Amino acid sequence: MTRVRLICVLAATCAVCLPAESVLAQVRAKADVTCRPAGTLQYDCTIVLTNSRTKEPLAGVTLTIGADMPSMPMMHNVRPVKAEPGETPGTYRARLALEMHGDWALQLNLAGPLRDRVLRTLRFDPDRVMPATKAPSHKH
Amino acid sequence: MDDYLVSVLSNIGVISFVALSAYLLLLTGEISFGQQAFFAIGAYAAGIATALWGWPLGAALAWGALAGGTAAVLVGLPTLRLHGLYFAVATLAFAETVRLLFEQFRYQVTIDGELVGPNGTDGFRGIRYIFENDVGSLQFLGLIYALLLAALAAFVLLERSRLGVAFRMIGEDATLAALNGIAVARTKLLAAGLAGALAGVGGGLYAHLTTYVEPRIFDVMLGVHSLAYGLIGGLGTAFGPLLGVLIDIGLLESVRVFAGYRMIIFGGLVALLLILRPRGLLDERVVHRIRRAWFRLLVRSHSTERLNRDLP
Repeated sequence: MTRVRLICVLAATCAVCLPAESVLAQVRAKADVTCRPAGTLQYDCTIVLTNSRTKEPLAGVTLTIGADMPSMPMMHNVRPVKAEPGETPGTYRARLALEMHGDWALQLNLAGPLRDRVLRTLRFDPDRVMPATKAPSHKH
Repeated sequence: MDDYLVSVLSNIGVISFVALSAYLLLLTGEISFGQQAFFAIGAYAAGIATALWGWPLGAALAWGALAGGTAAVLVGLPTLRLHGLYFAVATLAFAETVRLLFEQFRYQVTIDGELVGPNGTDGFRGIRYIFENDVGSLQFLGLIYALLLAALAAFVLLERSRLGVAFRMIGEDATLAALNGIAVARTKLLAAGLAGALAGVGGGLYAHLTTYVEPRIFDVMLGVHSLAYGLIGGLGTAFGPLLGVLIDIGLLESVRVFAGYRMIIFGGLVALLLILRPRGLLDERVVHRIRRAWFRLLVRSHSTERLNRDLP
């Protein structure tokens, strides 16, 4: 009985210790990502970050890009790369080195003035990069 | 701590839940290829709870566990009558049905001028609890491992309890267990429910860690891996599946020379271990040896201490 109580107390502590109030009215980032092949399994990506509400460019943030394969979640963890600011405000550039071709979910992690994460799923082929297909298409 | 290390450790922690979930069913002698379904149910349930209903994370994770556990019991009612291959196929079919249902599932709410919620194959983006509440990645890592430790502690207690013995007895021989007075169907259903709840917690953590989920994340690959972790790590203790996760994500991930060949190595490792060590690296015999060695060490140190104290 004491053990059950102990587990209940632990669970309740976890629930109480975490913040309860959700701050919904926050600035959110929007990202447009374009990538092109730059070598074997290497891709040059340009990211344009904007404020999702005001549509203003988001400059001055620290942007790191990680990637995970949706078909094999948590199995392929590409080491995040830091994006360099481009010429125009809100534009960032980064070179990604992937482990294989296919669909990758890019995790754009923003830090600094704005902390956020934006996800974009793209299909990385040897010769091009395009938006990922969500389900296999069947042709009869 | 390095962001990459935090990310790998978080992944190891989260996937350990679904590995432990598959392990719990393996204890009762059932091979499930469908634990990813309860992981998915937990992920969607917990994500909806925080992102759309504004619940605190603790309550959302509990809700995810409840949803996963309830679904597992409901699936267990008809499928646990099946055995071996039939049960494995039934769980796989259920998991694929759940994944396809999530591809049709749409439930979006306008929050702060933006549509948030599950949107079929586009998935469920905007599970931004950790950003909205300023939960750091290290803090979240701490939460994952606190819950994992609690789960492991529960497993240790379970293994020492009558229920744990009943699980193993059923796993060894269900007929013999029934002859010894164990309610086999009820006990297996309980194991299925607990395993579903465990996967549900993992799913809830995953949804909040990555901030998005989509149906294809929960395909058979995740189910096969979660099952393989127990088979690689060993069925002698709950630390076995964790060892399996560590070998796959920890070792193969850190040794980048394996990148791209990882699935081949992983598949080969599973095949090799199934031949050489059918019950994994930490099987019952190894665990017994470790326990005996540990006990001897304790007795020896205790007697030396006593001898030193008694000497003038």
